[in-house]
Amino acid sequence: MNLNIKRRSTKSLTTGSLIETYPHDLQLYKIPPIDNISLQEFESLALERLNLLRCLATATTLKNLRPYSNEWREYIITELRNKGLKYYAKLCDKSACGNTEMDLQARRKDHIAHFILRLAYCRTEELRRWFIARELELFRMRFMTMNTESVDTFFKLNNLCYLNIPDEEKNNIIHYLRESTAYQNVDNMKFYKVKFYEVLDLVKLRKVYLHGGYAYIPHKDFVSVLSAQFRVHLKQSLAVACHHLGEIEQDERLVSLLKSLHQTYTGNDYTNTKAIIPIESLDSLSVKSFPLCMRQLHEQLRMAHHLKHLGRLQYGLFLKGIGVTLEDSLRFWREEFTKIMELDKFEKQYAYNIRYNYGKEGNKKNYSPYSCLKIINSPVGAQDCSGCPYRHCDVSNLKNKLQGYGFDPQTVHDIVDITKKGHFQVACSKYFDAVHNIDLGLGINHPNQYFEESQKYLKGEIKIEPKKENNSIPKESITDIHEMDLDEIVEG
Amino acid sequence: MVKQQYDANLLPDMLPIYYTRHFPQKIFCRWLAYGCSPQPLSNREMSFTLADDVYLRYLSISNQKELQELLQKKCPYKLDIGAVYNTKPSVGRHNAVVLARELVFDIDLTDYDEIRTCCQEAKVCEKCWLFMVIACEIIDKTLREDFGFQCILWVFSGRRGIHCWVSDYEARILDSPGRGAIASYLCLIAGGENQSKKVHLGNENLHTSIRRSLNIIDNYFEQLLQEQDFFATSEGLNAFLKLIPDETLRSQVAKKLEKLPQSSLERWTSFVSTYEAYCRENGNAMRKLKYLTEEIKIQYCYPRLDVNVTTGFNHLLKSPFSIHPKTGKVSIVFKSSNVKNFKLDEVPTINTLLDDMSTDSSVHQNNMKEAVKTFQEVVFLCEKTEAMRKRNNANTSIEF
Repeated sequence: MNLNIKRRSTKSLTTGSLIETYPHDLQLYKIPPIDNISLQEFESLALERLNLLRCLATATTLKNLRPYSNEWREYIITELRNKGLKYYAKLCDKSACGNTEMDLQARRKDHIAHFILRLAYCRTEELRRWFIARELELFRMRFMTMNTESVDTFFKLNNLCYLNIPDEEKNNIIHYLRESTAYQNVDNMKFYKVKFYEVLDLVKLRKVYLHGGYAYIPHKDFVSVLSAQFRVHLKQSLAVACHHLGEIEQDERLVSLLKSLHQTYTGNDYTNTKAIIPIESLDSLSVKSFPLCMRQLHEQLRMAHHLKHLGRLQYGLFLKGIGVTLEDSLRFWREEFTKIMELDKFEKQYAYNIRYNYGKEGNKKNYSPYSCLKIINSPVGAQDCSGCPYRHCDVSNLKNKLQGYGFDPQTVHDIVDITKKGHFQVACSKYFDAVHNIDLGLGINHPNQYFEESQKYLKGEIKIEPKKENNSIPKESITDIHEMDLDEIVEG
Repeated sequence: MVKQQYDANLLPDMLPIYYTRHFPQKIFCRWLAYGCSPQPLSNREMSFTLADDVYLRYLSISNQKELQELLQKKCPYKLDIGAVYNTKPSVGRHNAVVLARELVFDIDLTDYDEIRTCCQEAKVCEKCWLFMVIACEIIDKTLREDFGFQCILWVFSGRRGIHCWVSDYEARILDSPGRGAIASYLCLIAGGENQSKKVHLGNENLHTSIRRSLNIIDNYFEQLLQEQDFFATSEGLNAFLKLIPDETLRSQVAKKLEKLPQSSLERWTSFVSTYEAYCRENGNAMRKLKYLTEEIKIQYCYPRLDVNVTTGFNHLLKSPFSIHPKTGKVSIVFKSSNVKNFKLDEVPTINTLLDDMSTDSSVHQNNMKEAVKTFQEVVFLCEKTEAMRKRNNANTSIEF
């Protein structure tokens, strides 16, 4: 490998002036800050960065923008400006080497805030994953926006030295580079050789030429190498932070803030429910209150008396989430499966997994039901019925299905139309409205949330107040919460 | 002489003899230890399936003697191999941390049920075995050429599929996202029961690995068309027509094919010429349907991987030379270069190995010997590369 990173020595940051400490907009956050800051600043920096990260999440999941596309970037920058986070917008600029006082202050805030959030987000696996994903998006977005000069400076400042492959070697494989690299004018680019596991994101998408365990990447793709390293570094740092939580939490002034900070994010993961739903009601509930993905699994199970592994997981966990007890669950699956197999076979091969879902077998973990994001993004095998019907169905199949359910042509057309545009969760929301014959426009991000909202509505707990989203969804939807946060911040 | 039928009820009597006389215990232990790197053999999880599907997990052995004792004591119907942990798996159980695991691939013919016409579900025949031949060649080439892996073990799963174990150090310590990335790199067929067209290649250049796979497919495509006769029945033909996204072209093709005799090969040739003519006249369609024939070939021939098996860091997988309890067949190791000549009915079974008088006995005995030899070769290669890796590491650390 031709890439070499020398670590900067861990010397105190306060000794130098700000320009020595923060020469560049983009940082790798290797050394923690050791400034003294007021509690007030601590809190506001934390909230502001949280807003920034949520903004990234919203752009991808709720606005359905393609990550790193121009629209995605523009949406984020505009949002940041609207939210009074101009300094973050500025840090996402093309030229990243300014040295005005404003630049320096922005970099200082960026640095400190990143480390505060590490403390808030190191607590659980789930939180860590969310935090790493967002920080990586931020890092990538900033790197990709920078102009060549800024990139060069960044490499120099961080002591990243590497050598491109000689022309002769390049000429030998130029044909393959043209074929397999996702850029035009490959002939004019310099290429570098790294191990395939340093650019897994490119391998995954088949966007790089691989030979003998090496990936051949142009300068531009170094963002992959860097973000992979950044990810590893961040992962380890979070583990270390988690280890030291005890010490930090002795300071009571910080505890409440750090704890509540992550709670504002999580929403409900539907692992523990209080309601009990009898299995006899599943047939009617599947029509009234199930999202399409679960309705389709339910129907498949009733029809074929069998579901493949992923379907059993997706549907089984959902049932657990809405409040079907383990005993009922076993009975429910047993009754269906034994129509096509011996009881003995069911008990041996399938009952284990059902108990497993409820945390009674294996590593005894109480698994949470799948969220929309997980369902939409997980691969669907060639003969599976699981997955998200808007994402994993042919349009014609979806159309037939919806017509079969007796929706009027206009509704069917609307849902199919949105699906075609790739807005799967919006399509699901339309389906919700069509089933309940209302116009609510919910933000759906979890099948169990769909179910709860539906039940609330059917029991008359939700008053229909179209367009006033804030009131209709108390806790589940991430957007609403942080829009409320925003108001508070702007006003305060 | 009457060919003796395999009878699962006799397994308790036959297995102890099989494990003692035929199972390559010594080389098996050497394989799983890899020169004790990163951890000793005793940290490797094994699991047994006993009679009546009783399942024992978190077993481990420290040497061949313990293996022999354990096999005799428990008489497992099936052996599975898991990951290497930071501690003895029986001690660590749920809290143990996985340190290493071969990169594995599982290809099963049941995943081809929607396309194969000769058999369904558990059944297999020489005709559908051709799918496995293609899968093996494509995956083997990709692993060697693109990822630079060398220690690759191919194993017959005992009934209707094949397993691939990659034992290079880099592969063994690769984390779950890394495994997922390799699996995605290899996966071209995506989409469930509700999607007809499962392959989308876009309209930019085809990646080198896809081109190479298509070359391999082309070696077998005609034979497969003739044997499977995908488009002969009206269902088969309809499924095929659904893969054409452009409505005008689809109806043109449908009209042409109806008039033709039922042979899939003729229907395919006619489709290709219709498609090419259509693209010549219609530049816009040409861009949209640039790789239509390639996409269809891939949908009908390309390996269908069980991605979850590859991605999972601690997924259990059936051991080489385990007996398949339903068929009595040995999970033999074979060479990827020789997969074309793999004959299902020449796979040794526990019966023929133990019964010298059986008609197939000599062929089967011989094939068993070959399989053990192939296994040995891979294990020696593993040990050699492991030794070289350690020497290189030692050299570089001296430099610093």
